[in-house]
Amino acid sequence: MTVTAEPTIAETADPAGVRGLLFVRDRGIFVLWAALLIGFGLWASPYFASLDNALLIANAAALTAIFAAGIAVGIICGALDLSIPGTAAMAGCVCGALMTHGVPVGLGIVAGLAVGVLVGVLNGLIALRGFNPIIVTIGSLSVLSGLAAALAGGYTIPGLTGLMFLGTDRFAGIPAPVWVVAALFVAGTVFLTRTRDGIRLMAVGGNAEAVRRAGIHADRYKVLGFVVSGFCAALGGLVTAALVTEANPAANPGIIFNALTAVALAGVSLAGGRGSLPRVLVGALILGTIANGLTIKGIQPYWATAVTGVLLLASLGLEKWVSTTVSRRLVVAAQDDKKVTR
Amino acid sequence: MTESVLELRGIDMHYGYVRALDAIDVTVGHGEVVGLLGDNGAGKSTLLKVMSGAHQPTSGTILVHGEPTTFASPSDSTAAGVQMVYQDLALVEAQDIATNLNLGREILRKGPLGWLGFVDHKAQRKRAADELDRLGVRTAPVTRPVEMLSGGQRQVVALARAATRVTGERNGVLLLDEPTAALGYEQTRQVRALIRRMAEQGVACVLVTHDLPLAAAVCDRIVVLNRGRKVADVAAAETDNDQLVGWITGARESMFC
Ligand SMILES: Nc1ncnc2c1ncn2[C@@H]1O[C@H](COP(=O)(O)OP(=O)(O)O)[C@@H](O)[C@H]1O
Ligand SMILES: [Mg+2]
Repeated sequence: MTVTAEPTIAETADPAGVRGLLFVRDRGIFVLWAALLIGFGLWASPYFASLDNALLIANAAALTAIFAAGIAVGIICGALDLSIPGTAAMAGCVCGALMTHGVPVGLGIVAGLAVGVLVGVLNGLIALRGFNPIIVTIGSLSVLSGLAAALAGGYTIPGLTGLMFLGTDRFAGIPAPVWVVAALFVAGTVFLTRTRDGIRLMAVGGNAEAVRRAGIHADRYKVLGFVVSGFCAALGGLVTAALVTEANPAANPGIIFNALTAVALAGVSLAGGRGSLPRVLVGALILGTIANGLTIKGIQPYWATAVTGVLLLASLGLEKWVSTTVSRRLVVAAQDDKKVTR
Repeated sequence: MTESVLELRGIDMHYGYVRALDAIDVTVGHGEVVGLLGDNGAGKSTLLKVMSGAHQPTSGTILVHGEPTTFASPSDSTAAGVQMVYQDLALVEAQDIATNLNLGREILRKGPLGWLGFVDHKAQRKRAADELDRLGVRTAPVTRPVEMLSGGQRQVVALARAATRVTGERNGVLLLDEPTAALGYEQTRQVRALIRRMAEQGVACVLVTHDLPLAAAVCDRIVVLNRGRKVADVAAAETDNDQLVGWITGARESMFC
């Protein structure tokens, strides 16, 4: 009945080797990007390492980054949202159509973003009925492309010069899309890591059942994941329209592949529950950096695609190796501790 | 035993024609550890599911702190202070210990940031560390992700999490179905010590196990089921291994006939 010799184990710090490995896993992408910048800076000197070129890279990566944020939040929350290109096209067309009918720009933008939120709510509510989110969002992708084409009458909606402040304009010398990305990622990161709803959203992606057992309405957070991803898609659609001052009703599925590459480079697990927006941003910047550096050296763009693919596969391998090594070392460390305390 | 925290009277449970529980009476006192033993199919898991509100009994009464209650769902029983501890379903792997312990009862920052839903991470870490210290089971920094914990450490965190949820104004009951089935010797010792420490702090516990030495070491009282009937209900100190095995296998006559 009485418990003899209570097994208290001292709190242990992580061994140094493990800390190093975790650094590689969590911060490795920043190191990779720094290495790429230094490498291209030397190799493509003097054109690569200039402020103008940095802004060029940031601007080129901006759209990928916005869509990648949407994809990432969806995956973190447990669902790959494939409707993003459709939502983007629809948001651009709704905003464009309203503007050509004399509605103020601000209202058009709000309406476009509202489209994203609405699509997110619908996707979420349908997926909650137990349907596979991938199929559901492929369905909404088709519906949205059809609707966007119907709304635009089959043609692009031109002359949206009112949107230029989101596209080609610069503020303090920095292109508007870069500002948009900065605002989106700061807000998104603060939301996911510092607020109750953001933390719960990540937890739902990791283990919805555990969240439910904690007395939380897990379903609401699943819908919220789709809403955030729809919002990012709509924002991306509006910036796309702003860059070319016209709204194209044709959904571009290529958006998904670029964004997904950035997300995967950032180590966002497709299983859900983990990932960080700053890393996703760097993932998008890495894609932009490689394309830009190789272009400066006059190398064909398809090599950029191939290099990106190799990096992606290598990062997968590295992550796998780090995870297994860390868990092996921690088990060994725990056993050593016990030997000492006995 | 001063007061009963959870009391079941005349619980019947039928699955179609299968009579899984037959007129079961069980009383769990404040801070009491009750072992539930029985062969496979004896009805142990079914009884826990009735206690946790996952199943509704065909007939019978459930009383919490002496008040008749019905559990329509697990959230009803949780609200009443009776909580099932799920080993594999309870934790979010990618999040750290502190976040897991605080999920669903987050501490918000003071002032405008709190209104916006900002979490006070520092206060949450402190509360998590305090709670684990109180149970004497702080084996890893509370900032460590659960996925980096060993099986025993996870079990401890899952137990601590459940314990913090049933210690409101009045202490409640934890329901554990084979908590040590997947654990090694050392880890089983940790869990055993934790159950005793929770009991000292007034958290009662119903423990289903096949491990007779564990039951003898940790339980105040032992209830044996045999094919849906209660055949024994004795203080752990007043019985021994042979008697228990006899009741479990049906070789020994029931105490109640
Ligand atoms: N969901 C169910 N449907 C039908 N019969 C069940 C169900 N769950 C358990 N039973 C039956 O009820 C009896 C008790 O089962 P259970 O409570 O799981 O026993 P134990 O946990 O003691 O092994 C067994 O005969 C089992 O076959
Ligand atoms: Mg069972």
